Amino acid sequence: MTSADLARSTIVMFVVLAVQNTLLDSVRVAGAHPDAMLLLPMAAGYVAGPDRGAGFGFAAGLLADLFLPTTFGLSALVGCLLGYGTGLATRGLVRSSWWLPLVAAAGATAAGLSGYAILGAVLGDPGILRADLVPALTVATPAAVVLATPVVRMVAWAMPPVAPGRGAAIGVGAR
Amino acid sequence: MARTRRPRRPRLTIGLLILLSITIITLDYRGDAHGSISSLKSAASDAFSPVQRGVDDITHPIGSFLAGAVNGGKLEEENAKLRQEIGRLQQQALAEGATQNAIRSLDRLDHLPWTPGIPTVAAQVIAMNPSNFSATVELDVGAAKGVEQGMPVVGGAGLVGRVTATSSSTCTVLLITDASPASQVGVSYGPTSTDVALTQGTGIGKPLVVNYVIPGPPLRKGDILTTSGLQGAVYPPLIPVARVTKVSSTASSTQQAVTAVPVSNLTQLDYVDVLQWPQAP
Repeated sequence: MTSADLARSTIVMFVVLAVQNTLLDSVRVAGAHPDAMLLLPMAAGYVAGPDRGAGFGFAAGLLADLFLPTTFGLSALVGCLLGYGTGLATRGLVRSSWWLPLVAAAGATAAGLSGYAILGAVLGDPGILRADLVPALTVATPAAVVLATPVVRMVAWAMPPVAPGRGAAIGVGAR
Repeated sequence: MARTRRPRRPRLTIGLLILLSITIITLDYRGDAHGSISSLKSAASDAFSPVQRGVDDITHPIGSFLAGAVNGGKLEEENAKLRQEIGRLQQQALAEGATQNAIRSLDRLDHLPWTPGIPTVAAQVIAMNPSNFSATVELDVGAAKGVEQGMPVVGGAGLVGRVTATSSSTCTVLLITDASPASQVGVSYGPTSTDVALTQGTGIGKPLVVNYVIPGPPLRKGDILTTSGLQGAVYPPLIPVARVTKVSSTASSTQQAVTAVPVSNLTQLDYVDVLQWPQAP
């Protein structure tokens, strides 16, 4: 990853963080809100593969943890697993379908929230699984489908594709 | 031509990152590096809060619009009630601007009957529930204004929660509706306020469960539960906490099943007071 890639990735993370903390946190249904920060590792894994997806997801999760009241490092762990898992799951797929990133976003968000809740329960807060997971899944998963396309495009701008043709399939021109 | 990268060994990378994440989690969970992590979070909050407020000033109308679109049905019902007040408020609104309304809200907080003699720090809520798994709000006051971890926070109607983290300019408040054990509040009820119980949050925007209510002493729907003052001095006594909504018990049960709703509207907080209440050593 070059310094230009690093700078662009940092910009994308901070932009998404600002939108999450100011705009998306205001959109509440049954107390839950969309979670755009979970889409960053998914998009990184989808665009750049499991290796760099894991690294990007870790960094994005660590940034999110700075502003969350839960245990520090939890989002970083979930983020690196999400980035790696999404990269692995989508690596061999043909990227000709417009709905593929949307399905990946929904699946990754559901998996990420569930993993987050399970880890939180393991760390001594079972209330997360009992009270908060279902509303979060109900609200955040459909919202992820809506937000997937712009987030994937932003991450694609920040991180160059791993192999030729991958960028063309997600609509990013060659640089 | 698209730039390419030789792929590295992903398993080594993910393994190292998982190990690093678990290490960070363990350090924070056990408290070994809690001070350093808190300082880091505090610095990040201080650095980001001007950006957050600036973007919030621009995006708040959009967020309100989206929130209104999502809660459209509920808003229609509220609109019907609000229309009745519009006529009375229109003349008032012409004479008094938003600043005057804010002053009145703050003035109500300045004359709370249940906190005589306790110094307070007035605050405005600047962010709600950044996490889907924790009921918290962020206030625009911090250590620089004398706010410390553990201090109770009250609204115009009653208890809101307590401060769990501070930076120099902001603080995080854990609401009494949070589902974690940390949100529990010792309350008293009954004609002499000597019977005690414990409220437990069940999630953001959800009612409280009241535990350890023994059968017998009268507790009815509509009764107000107040802080007992016995909880290791976490909260001062006699602050209204919740209104009972349901009481039921069976002949063989050792406690009554009681639910209550917070007296403060925790989903629409605006101005609150932080009580500079001393903590038990």
